[in-house]
Amino acid sequence: MSFKHPRNLISSAILLFSFFAGLVFPMPASATDVKITYRLKWLFNVSAAGDLYADADGIFEAHGLYVTVKAGGPERDAIKELELGYADFGVASADQVIRALSKKSPVVVIAQLFQTNPLQWVYRDTLSNIQKLQDLKKHTIGITYGGNDETIMRALLSAGGMDERDVTYFSVRYDYTPFYKGRVDLWPVYRNAQGIIIANKLKAAGETVRFFDPAKHGVQFVANSVVTSQRMIEKDPALVLRFLCALLKGWHLAMAPDNQENAIGIIQKFDTDTPLPTLIRQLASTRLLVHPAGTSIGEIDVNAWRQTEAIMLAQHLIPKPVEIEKSLELGIQQNAHQIVSKNILEKTNVYIEKESP
Amino acid sequence: MLYRRLYQFFIIYLLGLAILFTIKYTLRLSEYVIPAPATVLLTVAEVYARYSKDVFDTFSVAIIGQLISIGLAIFISIFGRHASWVGSFVKVAAYNVQAYPIVALAPIIFILLGDGFLSRLLIAAMICYFPLLLSMLGIMSEPITEVEHFYAATGRLRWQLEVKIRAFENLHKLATVIAGSATLAMAGTIVAEFIAANAGIGYSIRIALYQSDLSKILIALFFIGITLSCYQGFLEWLGQQAGKLWAGNA
Repeated sequence: MSFKHPRNLISSAILLFSFFAGLVFPMPASATDVKITYRLKWLFNVSAAGDLYADADGIFEAHGLYVTVKAGGPERDAIKELELGYADFGVASADQVIRALSKKSPVVVIAQLFQTNPLQWVYRDTLSNIQKLQDLKKHTIGITYGGNDETIMRALLSAGGMDERDVTYFSVRYDYTPFYKGRVDLWPVYRNAQGIIIANKLKAAGETVRFFDPAKHGVQFVANSVVTSQRMIEKDPALVLRFLCALLKGWHLAMAPDNQENAIGIIQKFDTDTPLPTLIRQLASTRLLVHPAGTSIGEIDVNAWRQTEAIMLAQHLIPKPVEIEKSLELGIQQNAHQIVSKNILEKTNVYIEKESP
Repeated sequence: MLYRRLYQFFIIYLLGLAILFTIKYTLRLSEYVIPAPATVLLTVAEVYARYSKDVFDTFSVAIIGQLISIGLAIFISIFGRHASWVGSFVKVAAYNVQAYPIVALAPIIFILLGDGFLSRLLIAAMICYFPLLLSMLGIMSEPITEVEHFYAATGRLRWQLEVKIRAFENLHKLATVIAGSATLAMAGTIVAEFIAANAGIGYSIRIALYQSDLSKILIALFFIGITLSCYQGFLEWLGQQAGKLWAGNA
């Protein structure tokens, strides 16, 4: 959906009006209260900070939504659950969305949670600093065969005029021993989650690490995004907007530095295994990925989506283009952003932008 | 025997596919959730050679794991058949090990042994060994009184004879247990490959899952099923032949 099309402009105006009308003339609880199931991409951790905040802080409820937030996992697929009717909204990675679209799944993206992909490679600073792609040459690089990191690394090598013969791939598993032992030079991690834990461990052993961020080398591969079904958008766009407003408000509050104590308290309720100092560092790292300077929380980066599609097409992960722009609901996302911004955001934005590098 | 195993497998597999396709077309699900028959056929052509090789790889590890398990189970059950303490200890160990999810134990195994052949073999043997041992202990510790009594009364009942009598009288049970353990060995190997190996059909299934490609998974299941059916049919046939041979010699 784009504002260039007059029909989209009108529908956006109607959505905005219906939302504000709902605020000014609240309807009886029975008419507006809706039960919703929201399937996350992964387990409850810092990467779902805003989702958990919106739930635990009562933001969903305040919007008349009774949301069951369900943890994800490797065997969970929010898009399939949307189609099967087990979930109303979900979080999926861009490659899942594009694969689903290439198989005619009626999925639409209503927000992009991470502006920078947290999937990066950690390496010891004893390794020469990787400043350009050619610096990857001759290194042993961990990848998960079939995973996003494999796709991203292949795209990086290709962008640097190299191929897999120039590096040594190492098949990555759950345990980090090969990296700790130095058998692997670069290890793929979610920078804001495992990245912090690994950095802490190595710091305790007197070592320091750096992170190799593909986005800084021109490869933008979109990560977690909020999705729903085409049916839901057509049937109840006002509900989609209401849900997204609540969710983005949760993310804004979870990412606001001056609200850190509350955010940490909520994440701790769900992620009981991560020590408090680690959690604080994880949240700070997540903030930079979700809300880097010059972006708004939930913003859909169309160019990054296009690049993600192009990468998948080049690597034959999809047979033909899916025209991803058609499945990005920019109108709803922008409306939700405007509504939430008016409430709480100006102060937080300034703060975060000052903090961002 | 083999023929029956095969057509039974085909019935089950095709029934499963029919249910999936019925759900797909009834609920009008996309290719992403359940692939269409044509997509599955196209994928067969694409992955047939690779998956055949992968299944053979998995199968060879499973057979070695099963053989080791059978050898160990026979050894322990023969020497533990009279000692009630050994029997109860093995049972406690077996129930405990079976209760631990292999996904929790696997990372420890992979740290110790790496993610190659040995880890796959150990996990396959672990999953297959204990149920096999429990059954064998049960068979070997149960006296065949009406036969053994005669030899015992004449003072000719040595341990080798006792084991032979009990094995012969329970040959059908033993063959069934061994054929059944093939499934466990295969499942164990696939789980190991799924978690951490770099080869085998379990590894291919994991990649297909990452790519949300159900058609590849359906094909992998077909290859696993057909291989296992053939092997189980073969084991049952072997059990029959052994029984006939033994009965002929007796």
